[in-house]
Amino acid sequence: MKNERLYQRNELSFSFSAWLLALSFLLFASGCVKVEYSKIDDPAYLRVFNNLNYVQTLGSKDDKVPFLCMFINPVVDANGVPTGAEITGDFLDQREAYAPPYPSHIGTSTSVNNPEYPGKENVLVGPILNGFDLSSWAQVPSGRVRIMFAYRPKNTIPFFQLENHLKKDILIDTTIDLTTKEVYTLHLLQKDFVTKKTGVLLRQENFHKLPLSDSLAYVNFYNMSSKGFWEADASLKPENWRLRSFQGGMKDEMNVFLSLYESQTNLDHNSPTIPGFKGKYLANVKRNTETPVVSPYASFPLWAAKDANGIATNIWQRFDFFIPGMDITNNPFYAGNISNGGNWVSVNCLFNGQVGLTSNDNGALLPNLLVNIHSGKNNPATFATVNTIEVVNGRVYLTTIQRKYPAPIY
Amino acid sequence: MALCMLLLAACKHDDLTVAAPNENVRPAGDFVKNNYEMRLFSAALQKTDYFSKLNAAGPFTVLAPTDAAFNALGIYSASDFDKMNQDSLKKVIGYHILPRRLRVDDIPSNGIDVRYTTLEGSDLYVSRASFNPNGGVENETYFSGAEVTRTDVQVANGTLHLLGSVMKPNFTKNIQQWLAERAEYSVFVQGLKKFSLWNQLAGQGSFTVFAPSNAALEEIGITSASIEAMDINKYVGERLFGTYLMHHRHFFVSDAQVFSRINSSSNFEYILNNDSYYMTFSASKAYPTFKLAYWVSIRAGKGGFDPVITSGTGDIVAKNDNLCSNGIVHHMVTALLSPAQAIKQ
Repeated sequence: MKNERLYQRNELSFSFSAWLLALSFLLFASGCVKVEYSKIDDPAYLRVFNNLNYVQTLGSKDDKVPFLCMFINPVVDANGVPTGAEITGDFLDQREAYAPPYPSHIGTSTSVNNPEYPGKENVLVGPILNGFDLSSWAQVPSGRVRIMFAYRPKNTIPFFQLENHLKKDILIDTTIDLTTKEVYTLHLLQKDFVTKKTGVLLRQENFHKLPLSDSLAYVNFYNMSSKGFWEADASLKPENWRLRSFQGGMKDEMNVFLSLYESQTNLDHNSPTIPGFKGKYLANVKRNTETPVVSPYASFPLWAAKDANGIATNIWQRFDFFIPGMDITNNPFYAGNISNGGNWVSVNCLFNGQVGLTSNDNGALLPNLLVNIHSGKNNPATFATVNTIEVVNGRVYLTTIQRKYPAPIY
Repeated sequence: MALCMLLLAACKHDDLTVAAPNENVRPAGDFVKNNYEMRLFSAALQKTDYFSKLNAAGPFTVLAPTDAAFNALGIYSASDFDKMNQDSLKKVIGYHILPRRLRVDDIPSNGIDVRYTTLEGSDLYVSRASFNPNGGVENETYFSGAEVTRTDVQVANGTLHLLGSVMKPNFTKNIQQWLAERAEYSVFVQGLKKFSLWNQLAGQGSFTVFAPSNAALEEIGITSASIEAMDINKYVGERLFGTYLMHHRHFFVSDAQVFSRINSSSNFEYILNNDSYYMTFSASKAYPTFKLAYWVSIRAGKGGFDPVITSGTGDIVAKNDNLCSNGIVHHMVTALLSPAQAIKQ
């Protein structure tokens, strides 16, 4: 009997020590993971766009491709070659037509090429400020920072691993002033089409400080084209049939008119519009590559359509840019005119910006300003947004900012 | 404890027997020697001592022109190589070998003028059409203008691509020296000299020159004697002879072909230097030979109503794509503007 108990105790202690060993092994193994949380004190929020665009053609095959690497507070060696930086934004490619409210769209991309900064970069991003989700803005150190852009070859090798002679080509080396907890967009621009001079434009955004309604959609406009672009000969400009009337650029001062169409099922620029929103004057836009002034936001109601139910709406937008004195009532050009000397350009904003109209018109394509997405029990639910439409040389870009919205319930 | 035992036991391996690698795959040198489509290239390798090198460790990429490609240059037997300057031959053959393994998949998609260093020491240019952005797969590769007709032949110490023509690098020789050496272009050279267009061809480039042969110029009434008799004040020189020169461009004929695949546009529009005349350069595979050919057409202006005044072509692949230090020279079989079309108004 005594022996038996001894045996039992032995067995017990054996299994106990085995567990202990396994547990300590587990602890030991998991102890190898060291999580380092990075933190930036007093950050500013920055989003960077490379508006220098290029096309691959026979005539431009020897031109330098503006495929860049961005450095904030770089460390530069004696030869002027960057050897490190506080913040590096590598593989900065030309900007895409649509900059969406969330960086999620590029999360599925398999390419390293980044259409904006932070874009695909895994960095600390902005918080939700006054309801606006700033996850497309990176946290950067505030104060006076040195910012540098270097040309890099179009491949997948990170900048600092490139051969030394490929790191010397600096496009821009300048300083910018960032105030803590402010929201900025930084644009890399061509400022003169003839001399090819480039520069940056730092704009301090104010949308998060304005009393904006969530039943109105807002939009403002910029023309950041280079000097002399619309005047230049068509043979010097890239051809892109998707940009239709925008290819040749638009004149330095334009008035913008909004038409709101009832339904995205009608892919026709002659289809029914919402009463009061057929060629409604919205804004005046002047070419500006120098001063960082925020253009005023114009708005239109989210629930303007007849069948609007307060949950989802199917309206789409068309913006016509005319020279002063011209509007949709006295427009002398036929609807499909795409080369009118920059007097009239237009853009249709519907679906995801990939669906063209079936009618013969001259509009470029961008996504709908309103975001339709599954939220709560509603799929889709339509949300009002704050938008910026930027015209740069022969291209037009849309940036959409959205408020935080309720998560979907499945 | 049992877990630890398992972990320890996992470290023990029995000796494994791995099948011996196939030793019958020949190295690049032997492969070329034993292939009847590359007899002339093989002869050139042996003549230039590259043969033994190509049987060494490598890795190499061999760009092997076919016998037909050499025939097009007038080389029909191994003895024809004896007549050549051996140093030049060695450099040109060295230009056809890369000291690396470069499969077609290693070349960037739709890469234009991607440069790789050759065994000779200078760079060659690779252009490759892999896809059309509007949809569709493409598959054309050109090394310094020479088309690859068979890709990715694997040899023991590298890879081999078959070329449809011989690459024609001239290394440090500039366009002026190249033209001066060739009697075939003597009338063209005389015309360039007469209208003070000659000296620039020794300078910094880059240029693309469409060199009309003497026979081509004679057809439109330009001969050595007629140039001698010309009054330079009566003619627009930049038009009469400048029309064959493209400044600040270096185009292989294949470039236009590659862009027609990847960009749906093979045309290049160019305003003549110091003149208002307008040139359109394009190239494609000509029917019915399906060999690369280029066309140049001239109009008085770039307006839509300006008709084509004249056009010329070069469809002899073996005579195009002469890569010089400051540009590229193409042979032209039909000349462009006659003296009457270039009279000063």
